Amino acid sequence: MSTESVDPKLLEILVCPLTKEPLRYDSEHQELISERAGLAYPIRDGIPIMLPDEARPLDTDSSGKVAP
Amino acid sequence: MTDSMMVFDRRAVRAHRDRAAATIARYDFLLQEVAGRLIERLEDVKRDFSVALDLGCHTGGLRPALRATGKVGSLVSCDFSPAMVSRAAGPRVAADEEALPFKGGSFDLVISLLSLHWVNDLPGTLLQIRSALKPDGLFLGAMLGGQTLKELRHALAEAEIAGEGGLSPRVSPFADVRDAGDLLQRAGFALPVIDAEILTVVYPDPLKLMSDLRGMGETNATIERRKSFTRRATLLDGLARYRNAFGNEDGTVPATFQVVYLSGWSPHESQPKPLRRGSARNRLADALGNS
Repeated sequence: MSTESVDPKLLEILVCPLTKEPLRYDSEHQELISERAGLAYPIRDGIPIMLPDEARPLDTDSSGKVAP
Repeated sequence: MTDSMMVFDRRAVRAHRDRAAATIARYDFLLQEVAGRLIERLEDVKRDFSVALDLGCHTGGLRPALRATGKVGSLVSCDFSPAMVSRAAGPRVAADEEALPFKGGSFDLVISLLSLHWVNDLPGTLLQIRSALKPDGLFLGAMLGGQTLKELRHALAEAEIAGEGGLSPRVSPFADVRDAGDLLQRAGFALPVIDAEILTVVYPDPLKLMSDLRGMGETNATIERRKSFTRRATLLDGLARYRNAFGNEDGTVPATFQVVYLSGWSPHESQPKPLRRGSARNRLADALGNS
């Protein structure tokens, strides 16, 4: 867990760098999720790392639900 | 240079910046010098900017200077290198200049200090900057231009041809001033302005120049660069050629940095623009006094 929290105003203006669509903020795992791109961008020490290279690919199961 | 040409290895660009992050303060005189000049340009603009983005912020050195102008409200710092941006203060984000993660119309000002010369897709990046700006928002940038490091380029090329019978790019290429103007216009910026200046920095010797470039995270990142190290003999020959061809009498050497300044506004109806073709109400002949 990061000790520093991400700036809420910054979260408001961030979109997925690939799809330019809104992101879902997962505060528990400190990730910004882009469903369309299938990526979870990490937030490290309050810094969103909006680099597709550094993002975690989302796995979808058969029901179409996103598994962690 | 064609738009689709991939010149730079962006992973290498990032790696160079990551590596330089911890010690850049020892080598950042060029950043500081150009920062001062960029801030002067901002001070000439009779406007305040409530939300600003520092794109390619390195370790966030521009923040205090922007604050001191009293023109900027909140500032988001952004760099391709997480190691660089983690040293900046305030709201910050790591992002690739070629794939910006900002909602359209987010900023009143986007400022960029000596980072955009590492971008492959400058037209695409400028387009994304324009779209991240609010209407009537300002983009103000400084990047290195084509004359940069011409002495080093020349000396290393000669040494390589003489010693190895071939040539590979040792020094990254930089954009032309004229290209930059076209690109601003094509990206849809209103009132685009480009100007360039030459800064000549005197180094005790060429080796010190090379270590400073490394310290700033500015070493060659072209895709075509040789992945192996330069042969020591070739490098030494290149440095000797640098001294012989360009050196001063006291043994110091000059290095040229060309800085290209770009500015443009995101379009807004309040801005002056040319009239529509054929909309003239007065005849030119009347204005000239002959009918």
